[in-house]
Amino acid sequence: MKEIKELLFSLCERDAVGNVSSAADFAFEILKKYTQAEKADNLTVIGTLKGESEYTLMLDAHIDEVAFVVTDVDDEGFLTVAKCGGIDLRTLPAKRVTVHGKEKVTGVFCSAPPHLSDGETEYSDISKLKIDTLLGGKAKEIISVGDFVTSDTSPASLLSDRVTSKAVDDRAGVVCLLELARRFSGKKLPITVKFAVCDAEELGTRGSKTAAFRINPDEAIAIDVSFGDGPDISKEECGKLSEGAMIGYSPALDGVISKKLTNIAKENGIPAQSEIMGARTGTDADVISVTRQGVRTGLVSIPLRNMHTAAEVVDLKDIKAVCDLLEKYILSGGVMND
Amino acid sequence: MTELLKSLCELNAPSGSEANVAEFIKTQIDGFCEYKTDNLGNIIAFKKGKNTSAKKLMVDAHMDEVGIIITYITAEGFLKFKTVGTIDTASLMGKRVKINSEITGVVGSKAVHLISAEEAKKCPEKESLYIDIGAKSKAEAEEIISLGDYGVIDEPFIVSGEKVMSKAIDDRIGCAILIKLLQMTSEYDFYATFTTGEEIGLRGAKTAAYSVNPDSAIILEATTAADIAGVSKENRVCVLGEGAAVSFMDRATVYDRAYYNAALNSGIKCQSKCAVTGGNNSGVVHLNRNGVRTLSISVPCRYIHTASCVADKRDFESALTLSKYMINKICSGSLE
Repeated sequence: MKEIKELLFSLCERDAVGNVSSAADFAFEILKKYTQAEKADNLTVIGTLKGESEYTLMLDAHIDEVAFVVTDVDDEGFLTVAKCGGIDLRTLPAKRVTVHGKEKVTGVFCSAPPHLSDGETEYSDISKLKIDTLLGGKAKEIISVGDFVTSDTSPASLLSDRVTSKAVDDRAGVVCLLELARRFSGKKLPITVKFAVCDAEELGTRGSKTAAFRINPDEAIAIDVSFGDGPDISKEECGKLSEGAMIGYSPALDGVISKKLTNIAKENGIPAQSEIMGARTGTDADVISVTRQGVRTGLVSIPLRNMHTAAEVVDLKDIKAVCDLLEKYILSGGVMND
Repeated sequence: MTELLKSLCELNAPSGSEANVAEFIKTQIDGFCEYKTDNLGNIIAFKKGKNTSAKKLMVDAHMDEVGIIITYITAEGFLKFKTVGTIDTASLMGKRVKINSEITGVVGSKAVHLISAEEAKKCPEKESLYIDIGAKSKAEAEEIISLGDYGVIDEPFIVSGEKVMSKAIDDRIGCAILIKLLQMTSEYDFYATFTTGEEIGLRGAKTAAYSVNPDSAIILEATTAADIAGVSKENRVCVLGEGAAVSFMDRATVYDRAYYNAALNSGIKCQSKCAVTGGNNSGVVHLNRNGVRTLSISVPCRYIHTASCVADKRDFESALTLSKYMINKICSGSLE
């Protein structure tokens, strides 16, 4: 669990969106230690472990995070931004950010002055929520239109094995890839595994589309986060934190993979729960499965609270459960013979 | 001043839990003045000057900050809370909190994917918010949390050029200036009060003013600066970097006009607070006993009552210099 926590904290205190690559660079350095690793498109990184069979399983997680991009810098040092991914605007006032200009700048989303807000502020237009760079007129020298803005929130421990950070979506999934690469390194594998740390999921599952084409796998498993329980979420809409890996069942997924994952979890006493979706999954699995001639694809998710905010909460035990489940699954050869 | 402000801002002291700030202030002023603590936790200090003052002057800053108080623990281990002082709902949503200065939590916020377009436009009722400390049950939460525990939104103090960003600048900047005034040699005797409970209704200042029984008062504060994008000039109240803001009127006080004019004409860089908004300890101090002539000197502060207040270091120096000037002016009797 210590390794998982260290990996997650290292990934979450770094950033990845557009040309901001520190988290992807970190993932590449780790993958290089355990696999044959290469940099693919933009932030996408792919590591390979050859197995006894050419049968190739693509293990996917995305490295990018929800963020912003600068669309205007004014003379007083305030920025207008657009969203990179889905963000609840109501969580932004007084939120601190890092602006990736010529140098890193700490800024903050303006919060309405009390005398000008009647308590009925409407949050429907991101362009009205400005970022204060604290730089005044100097902002223009350091920050340009097109620069990216990420959340300035470092990881922290909560009770038991729960932690909070920004970007747990989907650094928690990337942790699984890196941890599995470590576990498999130097071992005999029945099948070939491609560890795909993909870019631009939050902009519409783009990185995994080209990564899957490039890898041309026989089978794929996407690892992402999904909705964890909370007082304001109905129970049927979410998984439960600390109750293990969420195994995806959906018409868009390969049913044999889903069943096999469930059976392996049962046989090995690995904590797991089912996540049933009526259609597409909203994850990389949707595009990987329709790559080239089609790829048999599964989805395993980690329950996460407060998704797409800087207050995401995850249980490290759930990340470990996903690692344990996929370790057994891959060692069993995936669905190569099913 | 910035180092002192940082040390003060890093202490967590929502109204009702100011003792740690008071203890820190005592370590700073010890040896420079006489002081005592009253029943409400106020520090009341007397600074001996070179000369006896013509007027009994009280210089005040409040020690408390806005925060939260835990009111209930749910069966699932989530914490319900009330705000201590006024905090905008949006500045709570999805933010990190620190309870009892050691337990980390977050204010929960439903995933954007699960809220309707209508729901997304308006903040929810404050009462629906909750804190997640990672507890899986009420019993687990109760091992480290008691009802009535205090918390703050937790953000670090940072310096960026001339600006600083932190929680609690309202009113630790006033405390920092008042500490500096006590540490310096003074021309005249004056009283300094570090007060409690401002954010929940100017409570400490009421009893401190009664005890000191001053003729005159200077309130050191942080006040709203709305010099931000999208706000027109006439609505900006005051502007960072343009010096301390001096009030002619706010929602609690019409200030002594002679003091106000003397401050503006001091030759020290300062500005009028150009709006009748907010209020501070002047509200109770100027009504103490037979009435007190009162002046308010404020440091302009953006995003006040959030954990990311922004202020300008140059305004700290302006406020300190102006305070010193006005102490001498009032105590010398030249404004009678």
